[in-house]
Amino acid sequence: MSVVKGRVEGIAKVTGAGKYAAEHRLDNMCHAVFAGSTVTAGTIESIYLENARQVAGVIEIVTHLNKLTVPGLADDAKIKESRFGLPLFHTDKIYFRNQPIAMVIAETLEDATYAASLIEATYKETPAKVDFAKEHPRVPLQSAGKERGTLSAWENAPFIVDEEYNIPAEIHNPMEMHATIAHWLAADKLLLYDKNQGVVNVQRTYARLYNIPQENIEVNSEFVGGGFGSGLRVWCNSLGAIMAAQQVKRPVKLVLTRPQMFSLTGYRPAAWQKVKIGANKEGKFTGILHQGKNASSVYEEFRDGITGITRMVYNFDNLKTEQSIVPLNLGTPTWMRGPGEVTGAFALECAVDEMSYQLKMDPVELRLKNIALDKDPENGRPYSTNFLDEGIRKGADMINWKERQQQPGALTEGDWKIGYGMAVGMWGAGRGTASAGIEMGKDGIITIKTAMTDIGTGTGTAMQNMTHTFTGMPVSNIKVALGHSTLPAAGSQGGSTGLSSISGAVAAVCKALKEKLAAYAGLKDADITLSDKGITGNGKFISYAELWQNNNLTAIQVEASSSPGEERKQYAFCVSTAHFVKVRVNIKTGKVKLERIVCVADGGTIVNEKPAANQISGGIVGGIGMALMEEQLADTVQGNLIGNDLAGYHFAVNADAPVIEVAFINKPDPHVNPSGAKGLGEVGIIGFAPAVANAIYNATGKRLRDLPITPDKILS
Amino acid sequence: MKPFTFSKSDKISKALSGKNDTVHFLAGGTNMVDLMKKNLASPDALIDVTSVLSDKIERQDNGIRIGAVVRNSTLGKHELILSKFPLIAKSVLAGASPQIRNMASTAGNLLQRTRCPYFYDTSTPCNKRKPGTGCSAWNGNQRMSAIVGYNEQCVAVHPSDLCVALVALDATVNVMDKKLKPVRIPFDMFHRLPGNTPELDNNLPANAIITSIDIPDNSFHRHYAYVKLRDRDSYAFALVSVAAALQIEDGRIKAARLASGGVAHKPWRWHQAEQFLVGKEATTANFSAAADLVSKEVAPLAGNAFKKVMLRGAVETALQNCLTA
Repeated sequence: MSVVKGRVEGIAKVTGAGKYAAEHRLDNMCHAVFAGSTVTAGTIESIYLENARQVAGVIEIVTHLNKLTVPGLADDAKIKESRFGLPLFHTDKIYFRNQPIAMVIAETLEDATYAASLIEATYKETPAKVDFAKEHPRVPLQSAGKERGTLSAWENAPFIVDEEYNIPAEIHNPMEMHATIAHWLAADKLLLYDKNQGVVNVQRTYARLYNIPQENIEVNSEFVGGGFGSGLRVWCNSLGAIMAAQQVKRPVKLVLTRPQMFSLTGYRPAAWQKVKIGANKEGKFTGILHQGKNASSVYEEFRDGITGITRMVYNFDNLKTEQSIVPLNLGTPTWMRGPGEVTGAFALECAVDEMSYQLKMDPVELRLKNIALDKDPENGRPYSTNFLDEGIRKGADMINWKERQQQPGALTEGDWKIGYGMAVGMWGAGRGTASAGIEMGKDGIITIKTAMTDIGTGTGTAMQNMTHTFTGMPVSNIKVALGHSTLPAAGSQGGSTGLSSISGAVAAVCKALKEKLAAYAGLKDADITLSDKGITGNGKFISYAELWQNNNLTAIQVEASSSPGEERKQYAFCVSTAHFVKVRVNIKTGKVKLERIVCVADGGTIVNEKPAANQISGGIVGGIGMALMEEQLADTVQGNLIGNDLAGYHFAVNADAPVIEVAFINKPDPHVNPSGAKGLGEVGIIGFAPAVANAIYNATGKRLRDLPITPDKILS
Repeated sequence: MKPFTFSKSDKISKALSGKNDTVHFLAGGTNMVDLMKKNLASPDALIDVTSVLSDKIERQDNGIRIGAVVRNSTLGKHELILSKFPLIAKSVLAGASPQIRNMASTAGNLLQRTRCPYFYDTSTPCNKRKPGTGCSAWNGNQRMSAIVGYNEQCVAVHPSDLCVALVALDATVNVMDKKLKPVRIPFDMFHRLPGNTPELDNNLPANAIITSIDIPDNSFHRHYAYVKLRDRDSYAFALVSVAAALQIEDGRIKAARLASGGVAHKPWRWHQAEQFLVGKEATTANFSAAADLVSKEVAPLAGNAFKKVMLRGAVETALQNCLTA
């Protein structure tokens, strides 16, 4: 496919012309700000609002005592049924620190913020549980997924790795804070500007909560400043704005503060895992037991699919997976980039590396020996395409893997130890139903449209590229409209399904446009090519002007939708990454420097290399954070989060990342969708942290099984 | 943030006459505004003093004088600093981000408050923020806490990198008090230990203003190093940091300076190790022995035992790096 140099929305973003949710201005708009609980668990006894009410500009203060009841949260049964999560202002219970207990609505953000800081409350405190390490041993494991073979078949395998691995909670921290402007246009008509990863999901959520028709809720999310999964759920920022707008009968804007982003919009939960692998003398895996527990909140169960990765990457006969959920007094966690698989791959891919040292076998060779290339081990369906072996070989070549020494600690330069590590990542290449529309004018300008959001991944640019490929129309004539609920419906942009889903819709609507144009031109065959001037079909050129005049047209509108079909029953679909890293570890200071990072990704056809590589390197930067620094801790006595801002919570910055060398297999998947392209959003981060941990072991001989690998752990 | 009035002063006397407990000075604002947003500082008024204080770095008879509102970014690139006092540039560039350094002033760097997570979280007890409420870090998360000079009342550390170099180079803080009287405070006496008043970070007299910093001439411009260990390579406060400077003549150490950040309520000098080094050869063995002396002085908390090992490694690395700087 041809490649456009820049992003379709790039200029709008860098000039500020593109408006994010909170940047819209509505007449008569006022501002809402949450005040949070200062205890971690208990019940609100009283709330003192008088000082806050004295602040000039305060219009109203909403608490659980005076809120306008949301129909879908009217009682405990409805709250449970709504699956909304935190029943904002519909309970006097405190489930976690900084849970909103009141909402100040004021004329300005400054008034509302100041007044919120003056709200005081008394509580009946109850003991809080925030210490995952302390709580998880009390929660029993339960079977998760179909068991293959038996445990007893391999318990006497000549080689056994049996270890425990831990990761702490990690926070999404998209650049744009979750924000909503809510405006009730009528009693049953709602307008929202909202930061999210799926406008239809937002519509559905509030249609249910307020018992109003879905189409009465207009959601505008044209520009979204990152999500990493935090926008796949609807959180209390939008509910708060909607409740406030109803209460004061004015448009209300509510922007979460950065510290609130740490409690109110999910995170990757802390997890404990145990992986036991058996292998025979030839290095063939004979069985795996994978157990995982993840933290959740006390008011909602969130299950991270930790053990899923062990069901897909390798081929072996005996498998048992078990999981459980550990309720804590924290906000509910949610999907975060590569959810489940990222966590699971850390344990699995470290354990596989440990096995390679037991076997005295190169970890590259061990993986090539065991990966399931032909068929998905879970369901036996052949992989439509799976080039993980090619990725591993190419990556090894790129990083000069032969320089690696099998003996840990063998490469030294002064105080620095040098090591190489690798690991793989995999993600099921899903596809959902999506619709797209095209509007075309006499000037030959077409607009390709969908409700799907573009959270920064390049969906819009890919739509433009695909439209060009399917029609021949130059990209300069193709505009993109997305992220708005009035556009043709599409699912949320998550789970790396966005591109795959929308590509079917774009193909279908391009075909519909060509058929329509061919019909207007009197051509039987719809196999036409579009240019900026007109169409060419059957060797004949007809200009748009002529076409429009002959048919007395104003504008052409077509819409089409596409869904996955029979191919899903015939094939299995995956994307994969082979990660390779070279590290330097200072034995005196514990400092870890990533010297080289190589990733070879298989995502089918690469529609546009720039945003595609961007997805992979962005995922890897997230992986650097996961491997070396990201850790959301809570004070185990008081339950407050430690360092809930961008200075206190460390994620990787430019200085932590070397140039990330990304290569693609770039071979089409002929069955997944009309474009042959598969989503790359998740798979870049999956398997990266274990590659780093494995390299650190190779450098130092220290096997570190608890993330993040901070300097103190190297020195311990 | 509490509403406040803002004014820009054009005379130091006017600025000082307007100052009281509820009126604060504002220079770069890179910490003050954060403190106000977090409701840790709630002044009724701010006086912008950027026009009344010097933003010049000037040569003096026995050293240099750095004006109070010289930007951190200027310190990082000024010719006089780079040629005669490069340790200053090295330390200041290890802190914050370019955007913050472009705003932050020299005096403000001295006055920035601890980054102890409990200090910033108003829902938790903190003796520094609210005397008498207790120290949450004493039984809490101690990753960023002190390993020397602390007590049960406060285990917070001073966050500055620049101050570590300033204390190493025996700087002096020039102050003008409320009555316009100049006061000189040796840098090592400027910041305090928590004692029974952990709410006080330093010995700046009430309602006084820092006007400049003096650094005496030295011969440390050839062999110096600033090693900062932190959880990421930029925009993070030190777990431990070490400023090292050596004057070496004929292979022997004639003078030595060693100081650390991230270890105490104030930038900390390692006098014993300095004395040990003087007169010795600049060898790995002597550096290692000096590092041992440093690590013997510290008493980590239960939650930051790693800092002792890390500090030892950082001292050794910094001294070693002095030879290659």
